[in-house]
Amino acid sequence: MLLTVIRAGRGRAFPLLLLLLAAGLLTQPETQPLLGIREAQFDHYQRVLPRQRESEPVVIVGIDSQSLVQLGQWPWSRDLIAALVDKIQAGRPLALGIDVVFAERDRYSPEVLARHIPGMTADTLAALPDPDRKLAAALEGTPAVLALVGLSKPLPGGRQPAKPLPVFDQDASRDRFLPHFVSALASRPVIAAAAAGEGLINATPELGQADNQRGVLRRVPTLAFVNELPFLSLPLEMVRVALGEAGSVQTEDGAHGMQAIRIGDYRLPVQRNGELLLHFGASSSHYYLSAADVLAGMHDPALFRSRFVIIGFNSTGLQDRIVTPLGESLPGVDIHAQVIESVLAGHALQRPYWMQWAEMATLLGVGLALIAFIPRLRARYAVLGFALAATAILAGGYLAFFSARYLFDGASLLLLLCPPFISLLGNTLIAADSLRHSAEAQLQQSREEAAHMNGELDAARRIQMGLLPDTARLFPDERRFSVAALLEPARAVGGDYYDCFMLDERRLCVAIGDVSGKGVPASLFMAISKTLTATLTRRHAELGSAFRDIEAELNRENPEYLFVTAFIGILDVESGHLDYVCAGHDAPLIVRNGRLLSVDTRAIAGPPLCAAGSYPFESAGMQLQAGDLLCLFTDGVTEAMHGQEMFGVVRLRAAIVAFGATPVHDCASSLRDAVRRFEAGHPPADDLTLLFLRWHGAAGGQD
Amino acid sequence: MNLPTREQAGVLIVSVSGRIDHIASEEFAQALEPLLTRCAKGQAALLLDFSAVDYISSAGLRVLMMASRRAKAQQGIFAIAALQPLVQEVFAISRFNLIVPCYASVDAACKVVGA
Repeated sequence: MLLTVIRAGRGRAFPLLLLLLAAGLLTQPETQPLLGIREAQFDHYQRVLPRQRESEPVVIVGIDSQSLVQLGQWPWSRDLIAALVDKIQAGRPLALGIDVVFAERDRYSPEVLARHIPGMTADTLAALPDPDRKLAAALEGTPAVLALVGLSKPLPGGRQPAKPLPVFDQDASRDRFLPHFVSALASRPVIAAAAAGEGLINATPELGQADNQRGVLRRVPTLAFVNELPFLSLPLEMVRVALGEAGSVQTEDGAHGMQAIRIGDYRLPVQRNGELLLHFGASSSHYYLSAADVLAGMHDPALFRSRFVIIGFNSTGLQDRIVTPLGESLPGVDIHAQVIESVLAGHALQRPYWMQWAEMATLLGVGLALIAFIPRLRARYAVLGFALAATAILAGGYLAFFSARYLFDGASLLLLLCPPFISLLGNTLIAADSLRHSAEAQLQQSREEAAHMNGELDAARRIQMGLLPDTARLFPDERRFSVAALLEPARAVGGDYYDCFMLDERRLCVAIGDVSGKGVPASLFMAISKTLTATLTRRHAELGSAFRDIEAELNRENPEYLFVTAFIGILDVESGHLDYVCAGHDAPLIVRNGRLLSVDTRAIAGPPLCAAGSYPFESAGMQLQAGDLLCLFTDGVTEAMHGQEMFGVVRLRAAIVAFGATPVHDCASSLRDAVRRFEAGHPPADDLTLLFLRWHGAAGGQD
Repeated sequence: MNLPTREQAGVLIVSVSGRIDHIASEEFAQALEPLLTRCAKGQAALLLDFSAVDYISSAGLRVLMMASRRAKAQQGIFAIAALQPLVQEVFAISRFNLIVPCYASVDAACKVVGA
């Protein structure tokens, strides 16, 4: 049942369904596990290539542990802050951001003190300094920006901040993606009125939850509304204030929401809800100063000239720390510094609205290509193909990041492509498995056929071997000659034969033949040839006419058109005269006194018996010398193969000429061994037949 | 076995290549079969170009013998040309040059068997 589903539509229907499900999941990018994978992927891009921090336009005056030790617990009295502002302002910074909300009255304001210390006179009270006013006085006329926190619900202590963007023309219909707050935690109007601006220090409001779960800060808002009045984030407000008259704020909007924010000539690409995807640089403590040192005048005020200065917390005790995608834990104030650097460089990570369509197109394109091609490929190429596609997708993501800071989510695509691919691969493996099964069945069948054939071959071989005389026992008391023969049948082909017998008291007949063809027909033909040779050479006085008669008899019934090469010799063992005929057979070799000759068959040799119909065979004669060694062989010797090389006549001659007076039995086995060594284990393709005959002379001799 | 053919002087020339041993001879016979059907009286002579044949076994010779018989029965012309020395030797030993006409080169063969 499951297999039927998986293999439906040639195994493509199920993967297609999985691909469509994957595409559906991709349209919900905020669901787990895709969100987690995506963020891990994007974080990794930044880890591989963090933002280069070439210049240090920001100095952070940190309220750190050392400052708390020297100047007492937080919150400090505002006249202390005022003193700090004065010290910094002496260096004339571009802008001064204060990452602190002065929402309530100072503890040392006269009204508060009057409540704590009863019996204070009105004069004493009037003579007391008001720290809030002191701070306001310090801020007056400076490019100072105060922090404010947007609230989505009205809270006690919430108030409308005093310094919205002075000039901002924004089509109201376009701001639906931007964050809107109903209230804010802002500084007291008396302080805020003296500042040049107020900026939001909220973390991302909508996605804050998910990000906070992992404790990693990836995006910060740039623009938000508090009761329909626009406010920039603290670092952007600082840039605006630094630019002064030139710092007009504009947004670039499209049908898909906000695309970028412009402050003067600076442009920063943002998400449609105005969020900045911050490209983090490696952290550095280089631009951090201790507030206590600044108050003590340990730094030259020129340090602050033409720089952005931020007063913020830099103490683990004050619990304002964030974790960056680079895996570093930083004081929250550092984000403001990094945002200012990003604005000045116009540098932000980009994930435009069309990126998710690009991802969808990649998913569907690669997925459909897999579905189209994987079923046509073998499993190993299927895996290779997927690996290549996966590498290309991942590499494409890194390339897009390295070249233009685009965030392309290759990892999620890979995860979504896995189920269709696994289904496709499974199908390929199932198909391969069934193919293997049928191949095994086929192999089994051909094995059975081969076994059947072998049975036939065995029968043929028994016929063949049963007809051959055993030369070792043939002429036990013979001293005028000695003869040895052997035949080793090949596995597939059979049809060689040899024979040796006495025609009468002094005439020895030796014959060798090689039937073309194989199996039972060749063996039977060989049997007939051998029998006819034995019978007809006895009947005919002349060898040539015997041969012609043999061919005529063989031709009578030869439906398979077999033919046989043959050499027949008749040796007068008293005189040493050899009569012979040859039908397409290799001329036998003779070793005489260590020299090699061959029986001259050139003049009389005809084609193989039955090859040409009726050939007028003639015999020839030659005189042997006492001690001559005659070697008859078939092409199983000369055409024994090793790789592409054949044993050949040259090796045969070299082997034979070395035999000298070696007993004929040893000659045969030694030559056979030489051939088998040459073949080095390769199964022989043809029968190997050898017949050695040594004539000792009429007087006789010992072999 | 692949047997590419071409025509020259009204002769159908078949290029045979490789080793025609006991195994290859069956393929050789099968590949030759359709060509032999056309080798009859009044048809183009069939000439086997053996210049790329490295070796021929007795089984291969038997295929040639059968082809020769078949052509003879159909009164067609069948010949072999351009034998390599090793193959030439096999032909000499087995006297197959008496069974199938052999020519030194394709051109020489075409002069004789061509129309």
